[in-house]
Amino acid sequence: MLLKQNNEYIHSIQNYVQAFEKNSFRHIASNDFLKWPDPLEETWRLSRLGKLTRKKIEPIYSDFKKNIHIKAKIKNAICLSFVDGAYREDLSDELPVGISLHQLSEKECLSFLSKIKKTNLANHPSANSSLSCTPSIIKINVDPYFSPNRLIEIIYSGGMDNKSVHPVLYIELKKSSNLSIVERFNHSGTLIMPLQLIEIGELASLKSVKIFDDNKTTYNLSAHSVILSDKSNYNSFSLIKGSEFTRSETHAEFKGEHATMNLNGVYISGGDQHHDLTTAIYHDFPNCTSKQIVRGVLGGKSTGVFQGKVRVAPGAQKTDGQQMSKAILISDKASANAKPELEIYADDVVCAHGATVGELDDDQLFYLNSRGISMDKAREILIIAFLEDIITQSVDGSLRDFIFNEAKIGLLSILE
Amino acid sequence: MSLLEIKKAHLKLDNKQILKGISLSVNAGEVHAIMGPNGSGKSTMSYMLAGRNGYELESGDVLLNGESLIGMAADERARSGLFLAFQYPVELPGVGGIAFLREAVNSRRKHLGEKELDHLAFVKEVRKVAGEMFVKDEMLKRSVNVGFSGGEKKRFEILQMAMLKPTVSILDETDSGLDVDALKTVSDGVNSQRSDSNAIIVITHYQRLLDYIVPDYVHILSDGIIIKSGGPELAREVEKNGYAGIINAS
Ligand SMILES: Nc1ncnc2c1ncn2[C@@H]1O[C@H](COP(=O)(O)OP(=O)(O)O)[C@@H](O)[C@H]1O
Ligand SMILES: [Mg+2]
Repeated sequence: MLLKQNNEYIHSIQNYVQAFEKNSFRHIASNDFLKWPDPLEETWRLSRLGKLTRKKIEPIYSDFKKNIHIKAKIKNAICLSFVDGAYREDLSDELPVGISLHQLSEKECLSFLSKIKKTNLANHPSANSSLSCTPSIIKINVDPYFSPNRLIEIIYSGGMDNKSVHPVLYIELKKSSNLSIVERFNHSGTLIMPLQLIEIGELASLKSVKIFDDNKTTYNLSAHSVILSDKSNYNSFSLIKGSEFTRSETHAEFKGEHATMNLNGVYISGGDQHHDLTTAIYHDFPNCTSKQIVRGVLGGKSTGVFQGKVRVAPGAQKTDGQQMSKAILISDKASANAKPELEIYADDVVCAHGATVGELDDDQLFYLNSRGISMDKAREILIIAFLEDIITQSVDGSLRDFIFNEAKIGLLSILE
Repeated sequence: MSLLEIKKAHLKLDNKQILKGISLSVNAGEVHAIMGPNGSGKSTMSYMLAGRNGYELESGDVLLNGESLIGMAADERARSGLFLAFQYPVELPGVGGIAFLREAVNSRRKHLGEKELDHLAFVKEVRKVAGEMFVKDEMLKRSVNVGFSGGEKKRFEILQMAMLKPTVSILDETDSGLDVDALKTVSDGVNSQRSDSNAIIVITHYQRLLDYIVPDYVHILSDGIIIKSGGPELAREVEKNGYAGIINAS
């Protein structure tokens, strides 16, 4: 049954932009948001927004004075805070020399918009609504050759019932710089639509961890675009656990040679949760490597989706693209969908993918049981081992324990 | 009263009759050997005793310490003192040896009303027992059974037995794949655990192991039923005449 989609939300965005100049970037973006994605559209087929579109939602007017207690979780990190989608300097730490943060001017916003429009996020609902309704577009710039010795922790909090929230972030790593970021989505309203553009310069390297842990009734529709230059590196790990519905969509493009990327993720889903990790990797240049490991654990009546497209353009020889996804169902009412999609137009490439959805291994469970370990504990041990493996591969140093602990908390909540 | 009593055990797998009326009574302090050709039902019997799903009895009964095991899950049986050393120990990638042993030992201790061991006390105990079993420290740090050689897997099984102090242990072909030195280490490990208060069932295809772990009784299993029982001399008869001789004679 296809209920007719409600486009009231789209009207509310058009109303929102009326307060701004006619030729503002916001108007251009809002003009491109004509309707929610069609449930029959290929990339949205497995993650339907019907329930969301029938809610009465309006973009939030950020209250820059809203007092909120922000708790950084990572020791020694530089904490940056977004509340209701707005960057809050008063709730953020100072950045070291070498990293700057500023709000884009109208002119810069227009050029940001045109960059987004050149990516595959051009028609993403979060791209258009967040460009229309964001309090401001924030840019973080890392100077050439700069490598901070602390990582940055970005916390997205706030939100209200029946409001949508629109943080927009633009991160640029200049030549030979390094940065490590942990983003924590801790939103408590109805809808958050984060939009992000990341440009990694020549020889630069970004380590990015995202923890999606929004409120039980939140929809999180994240849209990320990543552009890699020559010899750059992007190492990304996402942990999706909270919210009612999270879709994290990432489009990563190689725009130079000898660049490498890891795009790993874990989702831990229970109850009625729906978690979707959608990625597309575009090998447009030769000699680049992309590795992707995705794991899911699903309990209750939850549903999980992994859609992973890898496209190797003609001429992108010596591409190495590996993708592995595995989901474990721990309840018979849970379900997982894995949709790998390989489009290879070059001949001298190594590409492999594998996707499995299954249950815990009977032999392993019995072995643990035969040592006196209860079935519940045995499941827990095996799932933790399943996740520990990928976390160890994806995250290093002191962050590893933190992420592992976050995953464990998520896991215990779905095992209850 | 016997520690373990199997009464006319019948069991089907995939609609095929595998166990066809096994009866066996094992008293405290005894070591019983069960010998039989491949496919005679030895592993099936051990899974049945350990309580593996799908290996429920069709008819008959099994009593541990006089209490029926029917309807009792594998983990509960283990906590009550039953132990199975697997013919093919299962690999657990990502599950560390020490953590695994600790979970197992504490489950058993809790059941016995003993205090759970804290990490340090536990590691000390494991190190001691592992040393006796020639299990290297480095092995305990790895994932359970992952990348272990055949001999290491079997030694790790016996290490678990030593840590869990079961009342009835079933060792399923613990000798398979072992060279003479490993066989000796494993057997020493088992022998050191023989006591008046426990019992051991040694399942083997070959007589060789029984030179090291000398049984009180030997039973020949053929096609799902015990066809002959006797003392250690029966094992030597198998060695001399093969199973065929005994099976044909019965
Ligand atoms: N899951 C199963 N389904 C059907 N038959 C099985 C199954 N497992 C084992 N068998 C059969 O049961 C018989 C006994 O096997 P097993 O107990 O492994 O023998 P042993 O350990 O004595 O070599 C064999 O004929 C084997 O093929
Ligand atoms: Mg066998």
